[in-house]
Amino acid sequence: MAKKKFSKSGIEIRQKPLGLRMWNCRGYYVMFLPVFIFVLIFYYWPMLGVRYSFYDYKPVGTPKFIGLDNFTKMFTGIGAGAFWTSFGNTLVLSVVKLIITTVASVVVSVFIFEMGNMIVKKTLQTIIYLPHFMSWAVVASIFSLFLSPSATGMVNNILFHGDTSKFIYFLADVKWWRPIFYMINLWKETGWGTIIFLATLSGINPEQYEAADIDGATRMQKIRYVTIPALMNTIITVLILNLAKVMNMFESVFVTYNAAVYDKADVISTYIYRQTFANALPNYGYSTAVGLFKSLVGCVLVLFCNWLSKKTRGRGII
Amino acid sequence: MAKDLDMAPSRKKKIGVFDVVNYIVFTLVALVILVPIWKVLVDSLNAVGVYQFRLFPEDFTIDGYRTIIETQALYRPFVNSVITTLLGTVLGLVLSTLGGYVLVKNEMPGRNLFAYFLLFTMIFSGGMIPEYLVMKQIGLVDSMWILVFKHGMNVYNLVLMKNFFENIPESLYEAAEIDGCSPMGIFFKIVLPLSKAALASIGLMFAVTIWNDYSNVKIYIMDPNQVNFQYKLRNMVMDGDTPTTAYKVSQTTLFNAGIISAILPFMILYPFLQKYFVQGVNIGAVKE
Repeated sequence: MAKKKFSKSGIEIRQKPLGLRMWNCRGYYVMFLPVFIFVLIFYYWPMLGVRYSFYDYKPVGTPKFIGLDNFTKMFTGIGAGAFWTSFGNTLVLSVVKLIITTVASVVVSVFIFEMGNMIVKKTLQTIIYLPHFMSWAVVASIFSLFLSPSATGMVNNILFHGDTSKFIYFLADVKWWRPIFYMINLWKETGWGTIIFLATLSGINPEQYEAADIDGATRMQKIRYVTIPALMNTIITVLILNLAKVMNMFESVFVTYNAAVYDKADVISTYIYRQTFANALPNYGYSTAVGLFKSLVGCVLVLFCNWLSKKTRGRGII
Repeated sequence: MAKDLDMAPSRKKKIGVFDVVNYIVFTLVALVILVPIWKVLVDSLNAVGVYQFRLFPEDFTIDGYRTIIETQALYRPFVNSVITTLLGTVLGLVLSTLGGYVLVKNEMPGRNLFAYFLLFTMIFSGGMIPEYLVMKQIGLVDSMWILVFKHGMNVYNLVLMKNFFENIPESLYEAAEIDGCSPMGIFFKIVLPLSKAALASIGLMFAVTIWNDYSNVKIYIMDPNQVNFQYKLRNMVMDGDTPTTAYKVSQTTLFNAGIISAILPFMILYPFLQKYFVQGVNIGAVKE
């Protein structure tokens, strides 16, 4: 027996039998079918592959079950140092990048919001959104030319007046890679990040500013006590949404790093990539195990952020 | 949404210290963004590579661009990029509108199951290697079609589409149903025409993602005839993988012309489509 359903006003809703309801919706099932097939092939089928993390699986020969050996090797084996370095780098690079780009986006949005001249404001918005549409491959190419330690590298030549002995190879220098990486991220994503803050700012009730005017608040005080508090919710939302993606960092590092800076730059995904595709004898089992670890940490982060989001703003992120 | 951004509260017209500071900040930010891009543009039209920043090319030439068009090793990846981007965007839009539309049909038995089926993929994934092994089995490794299929199915964009469909008033569907319109008919005759703005936004998101992809090409494709332009470009500039045929311009000019060619399609479209790009962010983020 299907349980009876009642509308809000307490009137019983008579439901048709399940079979009939399904038949009536047959059109929708047909429409969902292609999506279903694609998701099955491109998302669920690979999930079955995580079983290889318990196997010794080389390109030649058949996979052999070895229990938790891959995980032991990953956490405590000879090469475990590289794994932990990549794990630590993933966290540091993602979190620092997230914080500085968010802060920069907030600051820039406040300036944009305060700009009275509409044409200037629109122009700047158009300019700062631009880099977002460039791929990481392009951005890496631009900055590699811009920072290059050669006769055509603008930064080095201006800094050192063409004294080639002092040139710094910014992208291959352990001391410089991280600061440069953060700067490139700032350059690329700060502008795009302002969109969401500007949308919030446009929703502030103008009466708040009028009230502040009557109380004799200065412009700085209005920013400090009206604008910034109004942004707080959005800032938290942005931080939570992006915290969930911390483990995903890949392409931005992948296109800018090189062997000289692995210590500071290698992240989990690039580590997996090298273990598999830059290895003469790759062990798919081992790299799958590292991938599974990454997925699980990512999964915990998403669920944690979802919980945090429900706590702080009343709705989840998934 | 985009229109709301203009509604800053009215201010006194007096120009104070803050306004001066604001104009200075605006100028600095604009310069920081534009200088690297402008340098690339000028260098791509300059016959010899120089480190100085110039407003206009001193030794003007378009040979950099001519080389790209004439060199098969560079031209082929460009064409691959165009093809995969167009097809991938179409596939992506078809799948996300179909899926998004079905997910707003509350009366459909199993709707929640479908929703969980999709949401789970946002929480957990097989990872790079299992995905690679599956693609190998399907035969998509070493083929540019991987870009079409891998990006065509995007659960996040599907959910954005669903969020948009939710805002179409229920009464419209009911009216159409009473007039005897089938679910398919409603989808094509009512839902899609009403969703042009969302289709534009989400279509652009697909197009940008596919055009800009580098890592999937690096992971899945070895065949130089199948790679896309971003991949070729990055390898050329950063790994010195230049075409073997002799080219008539300086290497720097060629690199810079390559960079400009890679961003050109979207830089041309961008000023006209800015509002759709911005809208896309807002459909997803501020749903209140």
